[in-house]
Amino acid sequence: MFDKILIANRGEIALRVLRACKELGISTVAVHSTADADAMHVRLADESVCIGPPPSKDSYLNVPALLAACEITGADAVHPGYGFLSENARFAEILAEHNLEFIGPKAEHIRLMGDKIEAKKTAKRLGIPVVPGSDGAVTAEEDAMAIAKEIGFPVLVKAAAGGGGRGMKVAHTAEELALAITTAANEAKSAFGDASVYLEKYLTKPRHIEIQILGDGRGGAIHLGERDCSLQRRHQKVWEEGPSPVLAAAARAKIGETCAKAMRDMKYLGVGTIEFLYEDGEFYFIEMNTRIQVEHPVTESITDIDLVLEQIRIAAGGDLPAKQDEVAIIGHAIECRINAENPQTFRPSPGRINQFHPPGGLGVRIDSAVYQGYVIPPYYDSLVGKLIVHGKTRQECLMRLRRALDEMVVDGIETTLPLFRALVREPAIIDGDYHIHWLEQYLAGQPPAL
Amino acid sequence: MARQPADKPSKSDDSALIRELALLLDETSLTEIEIEREGLRVRVARNISVAASVPSAYMPAAAPAAVAAAAASAGAVADLSKHPGVVPSPMVGTAYWSPEPGAKPFVEVGTKVSAGQTLLIIEAMKTMNQIPSPRAGTVTQILVEDGQPVEFGEPLMIIE
Repeated sequence: MFDKILIANRGEIALRVLRACKELGISTVAVHSTADADAMHVRLADESVCIGPPPSKDSYLNVPALLAACEITGADAVHPGYGFLSENARFAEILAEHNLEFIGPKAEHIRLMGDKIEAKKTAKRLGIPVVPGSDGAVTAEEDAMAIAKEIGFPVLVKAAAGGGGRGMKVAHTAEELALAITTAANEAKSAFGDASVYLEKYLTKPRHIEIQILGDGRGGAIHLGERDCSLQRRHQKVWEEGPSPVLAAAARAKIGETCAKAMRDMKYLGVGTIEFLYEDGEFYFIEMNTRIQVEHPVTESITDIDLVLEQIRIAAGGDLPAKQDEVAIIGHAIECRINAENPQTFRPSPGRINQFHPPGGLGVRIDSAVYQGYVIPPYYDSLVGKLIVHGKTRQECLMRLRRALDEMVVDGIETTLPLFRALVREPAIIDGDYHIHWLEQYLAGQPPAL
Repeated sequence: MARQPADKPSKSDDSALIRELALLLDETSLTEIEIEREGLRVRVARNISVAASVPSAYMPAAAPAAVAAAAASAGAVADLSKHPGVVPSPMVGTAYWSPEPGAKPFVEVGTKVSAGQTLLIIEAMKTMNQIPSPRAGTVTQILVEDGQPVEFGEPLMIIE
């Protein structure tokens, strides 16, 4: 087991990782930019090292500074959290070259799944159902038109080096295709340094359903059920729940086993999430995330498995926490990502939190690094915290969520709490009857298409 | 049968134990000692200052003195980060006063320096980085020990 872990991240996930380390008796090193000197996890860590000024590229993405921090503190492992360097295969390799453990998948798998075209090919090869599309990057315009006609409009143009919902453009008709490709390629080039794009069938009212998996790196892997993350704004998840309101046990077992078997064949190491679009009873692979995800607490609530703890145990050579038939999905959980943004315009609202009262009680969990008096810096993401609620049934979970949202106080900045208070009372949400375009239609004031 | 007063460990036994543990902390590079025996559990811990603690791999003989110095000076150094003459560390690493072990230090208190003149070296991953003075002036304070780990922004010296 590791002696000392350096937490290469910030905010709520850094605190989350710190908690798991403490429970395992592992010493913690918090690295931070000058803007995060007062962060909660920095205060709680055994040691802290300031690694740079506020900009991420000079601090949280600064590999030499991170390596130097490992060197002077004697850390023997690095947990990358999510975002930042968590899916940077080169970073994982550099750590290995310095005899440091990277708490995450093997670099080759990070690389494989980081290229969205290669990921799709791999998924197909491993027997995972995929969205019909071009078999790789599209180059010539004639090819693109022919493929698009074969797939059938509407068509989605996606950046090969993208992911996380970025670098995508819809072409509803043949006339829109050329422009969509040029725009997507230009955006991809400037955002990811790679103009390669590929085409996919654009599903009109799918749900986003993802499967959590865990692999021991030696050919053993299990799935931990699904999360339904259909409620999104600009491709960013806002509300996640598990189990999905539309998935029956048999369908869950089937897609879960397909994913687990693929991970066994790959000898995947650590946590991962395989994301699907689900429409008319069919699953379509979109991408795999080779890291811990923001919404991991939903799965923790319904399976009672501590995913970050297991990440660390598995990275240290440990075994999977359970056999597949020992994994039970109990009850229902919903997570709300509460951002420091105006609930209507979504304009960022950094600043000082004058009053903070997190809700409590049975089945209520807050994963947040803020505290009363904390100043949210303007340099990073706007996540205030995650509210995760569990109930024996979806109905009980919704009632508890409503109560918890009403009780929660975050004053001094604007937050999206009012949005969630409205959503939890919205009939379509209560019925679980929504899809990936639902939230944007709701926000635009249109009656969402059912 | 009533418990004999003599059976209970006396207060002076307790404080002798705690004194002994505190001494052990100072003499070794441990940061925490916990001991439990019948009826009593004692934990003695050292607070780690905001600066990174000294790893045991580097110059072990100097380690306890360096940690004590860092802890003692942490309060004073925090004020100096706003000093107009402060030279903050531009990187994470280990600070060395001299170009190589045994050589004369680059500067001493009282040395007059020009802008750009090397003040000290910060080493990270076997690369030596010469740290230049941001201004001309006199070295009035040297705030880091030879071989001390430093973080970004940590006050290294005062040049006035």
